[in-house]
Parts: sequence; C-alpha cells; structure tokens
Amino acid sequence: MFALNNNIGKSYVVFSTFISTMIIFLILILLLINSWDAISFSGIELFSLEWAPYQNKYGILSMLYGTLIVTFTALVLSIPLGIATSIFTAEILPYKYRFIVKSLLELLAGIPSIIYGLIGVAFFSIWVQDIFQLQTGRTLLTAGILLSIMVLPTIITLADDALTNIPHKYREASKGLGLYDYEVIKSTLLPIAKSNIIGAILLALGRALGETMAVMLVIGSIDKIPSPIYNLLTSGQTVTSKLGREISETAFGSVHFSALIFMGFVLLLVVICFTLIAQYFSNKTERLYD
Amino acid sequence: MKLLLLTILSTIVLGCASKETINIGGSTTVLPVISNAAESYRALNPDIRIIVNAGGSGVGINQVGENKLDIGMTSRSITDTEKQKYPNVDFNVISIGRDAVVPVVSSEIYDAGITALTLQQIGDIYAGKISNWSELGGPDQDILCVDKETSRGTRHVFMKAVLGDKEAPAPGADLVLGSNNEEQTALSQSNSAIGMLSNAWLNDDVKGLNILMDDGSKIEPTLANIINGTFPITRDLLIVTNGTPTGNIKAFIEYILSDEGQRIVEQSGYVRIK
Repeated sequence: MFALNNNIGKSYVVFSTFISTMIIFLILILLLINSWDAISFSGIELFSLEWAPYQNKYGILSMLYGTLIVTFTALVLSIPLGIATSIFTAEILPYKYRFIVKSLLELLAGIPSIIYGLIGVAFFSIWVQDIFQLQTGRTLLTAGILLSIMVLPTIITLADDALTNIPHKYREASKGLGLYDYEVIKSTLLPIAKSNIIGAILLALGRALGETMAVMLVIGSIDKIPSPIYNLLTSGQTVTSKLGREISETAFGSVHFSALIFMGFVLLLVVICFTLIAQYFSNKTERLYD
Repeated sequence: MKLLLLTILSTIVLGCASKETINIGGSTTVLPVISNAAESYRALNPDIRIIVNAGGSGVGINQVGENKLDIGMTSRSITDTEKQKYPNVDFNVISIGRDAVVPVVSSEIYDAGITALTLQQIGDIYAGKISNWSELGGPDQDILCVDKETSRGTRHVFMKAVLGDKEAPAPGADLVLGSNNEEQTALSQSNSAIGMLSNAWLNDDVKGLNILMDDGSKIEPTLANIINGTFPITRDLLIVTNGTPTGNIKAFIEYILSDEGQRIVEQSGYVRIK
C-alpha cells in the first residue's frame, strides 16, 4: 500500500516537472512555426533596419536594439540602488522595522504596469522633457527609468533574502577577525550571496525585457536606431511595444503577423541566452551555505 | 440568506445569458458616435447588450474579417490587401456620418503666428524636408512631427491628402502614436508639435490649422466647411459588417441612421449625412 502511494506520488511529481518543462519547448516551437512564413519570405533581411509592412519590409533590428538599450539602462539604474537598499534592509535596519520596509517595497511589485505607464506619460516624460530641454519626453531614457523602478522590488527582495539567509557564524567569524562592519559586508557577505544576487538581477532582466504596457506608452514608438547610437534622449521602439501596437491590426497568418511573431521568437532566444550566461557564471562560485 | 444569494446569482447569470450581445470595435474616430448611440439605444431596448471597444480602423476591419466583431468601426475604406486576406468575408460598408482630419499644432505655435499652411508644406514636414518652424515663418524651434500607426484611418486620409499616398512613409516623424486620445495628449504636452486629429478632438491646447489653398484662400476647419465640402481633408465615418446585417444588428444600424441617431452624430462633433 505504501509502495503504491509512493509510486503514485513519484509519478505525479515527475509528470508535473515534465509538463512545466514542456511548456517552454511548446512555446518555442509554436513561435518558430508561426514565424516560418516571415523567415522564408525575408530571410536574412529580417535583421535589417527598415520596418515597412506596406512595402513588405520587415527589419527587426531597431526594435531589438531598443529592447537591449532600454533594458541595459534600467539595470544600470536599478542594480546599484537595489543592492544598496537590500544591504540596508538586511544588515543595518533593526529586525522589527525590516518587515515594514520590505512589505512597502514589495507593494511596488504589485502595481499593475499600466499604472506605471500612465504615471510615466503624465509625469516622467514631462520631467525628462523639461530637464533635458527636449522636444518630447517620450524617450528611451524615460522608458529605462520607468523600467528601473518596476524591476527594483525584484532585485531588493531577492538580494535581501540572499543576505539574510547567510548563517550568522560567517558574520561572527569575520568580526572575530577584527573586520569593520562594512568590511564584513564587502568581503564576506556579498561574495557569499553573489550567486543569489545574480539570480535576482536575472529575474529583473527578464521582467525588463518583457515589459510591454508601460514601455509602450512612454517610448515614442518610432522604429529607428538613435543617432548617435548611445543617444538615450530620442524616441525608439522595443520588441514588446512594437508587438503591443501592431499585433491586433494584422491578420492571423499574414507575413506581417509572422514577422511580429519572429520578433517575439528572437526576444525569447535573447532571454534564454542571458539566462544561460548568468547560470554559467553563478555556478562557478560554490555556495557556502550549510 | 443562502436562497436569496442563489436567487440573485441566478438572476445575474440568466440575465446576462438571455440578453443578446452586439460586439463593436475599431476606429477611435467613430467611437464617440457609436458609444453615445449605444447608450441611448440601450435605454430604449434594455434587452440588448452592446459592447463597444476601441483599437483603430485596422482592428475594426480585421476583427470583422475574423468574425470576432459584429460591427467594425472604421474611418477609412478597406484596402485591397485586407480584402485579399479575407476572401470568404463579404464586407458590407455603411456610411453613418462625415468628418474632417485636421492638421493640428500646439497652441504655442498657433499663437506664434502659424495659423495656416498649404498641404504641400505639411507634406514636406512629414517627409522630413522642413524641420524647423522658422522655415515656415514661425519661431526658431524644431518641429516635433507626430505620426500615427500605419493602419489608423486618420493617417490614411491625412497622408493621402498631404503626401498623395495613404500608406506613405513619414521619414520626418519624431513620434508614432495610436489613438486620437494619445495623439491629443502628446500634442498638448509639447509646445512645438504638429499632428493630425479628427475634427471632434480639437480643443484649446491643440489648435486646428487653416488650410492655405493654391488660390490663396484660407479654409477653416469648421463644420460648415466640412458640410459644403470645401475643407480638403474629409472622410466618411463607416461601419463594417460581414454580409447584410440582420436582427438586432440591423435594428441598431437603422437606429444610427434614423433622425435621432444622426443627431447623436452631430452632438459628437461630426456632420450628419441625412
């Protein structure tokens, strides 16, 4: 009887794992099948600059660049802020306040992205416009700032957990060696929590790459690579904002539709690449937890 | 208590199920007319549910093609490509009113003296040949040229008028936006923008330009000029169905075309056709 229960339990667990892993393959295959029309129609020209469906030109490069530059900006802004905050909440803030501060920060994660988008249109874009004396505040930088706020709770919460989970003996041993508090954090705690913090950044990266609504409203939606290429103060387009704007206007099965799906496929590949790279690096450092 | 809850619940569920639903979606230009008409029609016929959504003309046409909507709203004609996409769909187009697409500028530019432009000049701005207001006699400020998504009805009509091709690319554009609402917000947030709006969406922050004709006359975007056809960028407000409408859908369309429905067209800032 116990053996039977054991078997049922085991196959249930295995089956669940199987389904969860199959979903990602299913999505990849579906995207690939649906983007096949565009691949066979345009071939290598999919990686060109011009997107003009009415002239049958489907170049996704400017969207791809927009996605990468906006995500990069968001992470550059949010990583230092997030890690500094998590050091404060985990190591400096007295335990009884930690819960309150963390709950408030986690509340940030629960705000729907359309709300961020509206705040972005109504305030952030105006501020960016005024501060930098621009024609319009709907820029790559605005989208990056908005995204950095949106991914901040992810980084803070996970990095904070990583630091709090480190056993006390490491802190005690470090202090016993005569290290100052900041040296304990810098030389002992951060290196131990490194792989988990990288995991936190990776999750934030995923959210930033995939965010649609908020970005769509503030980015300006113009399919151009900025000139010069690092100029964040011009409008642009990300893969997701392009999909959000155009997917409902295209007929299912047309080349246009297929090209949009291809863009989604490339985005997924980018996410997978980042995940693999990050895992490769974080596996190198062994966990010291016990 | 339980019984009461059950009764309420079942009334809600059955109430929803027994009501016939008309799904409408598409152009944000036609939207104000249809949503106002739907509201007053519901007051007359409480048994019918009418759901009205936005999305743009392209969405209206495509979703009628895919049978997701009973009535599609569009402010432009159906393109050949769209007809080819849905060979099995018999698009039935009905005109319910008239509208003008007005080139608009930020109020600061209007107050600085740019109140009229020729279609050629506007076309040059969108083509990227003119990029500063001083080239047109205005202040020394870069032009923020606001474009729309390519499938939008307003853009089709506007581009046909200023660049000669309804799907013309606009290399001079700085921003690409979607609905009239979004466009209006961006124009009022800027102090040096030009864009295109449906006549019903003009207000104090976004001023409609007069069109300077070849003979030197200036044509204001007034209702009178739209009615008598002198304003050069006008279009019909259209609704699309798959085949000849029947039943409730037919009744609703007849209501829009009735005297009362046409009054709603007028109240929404457009011109009646009957």
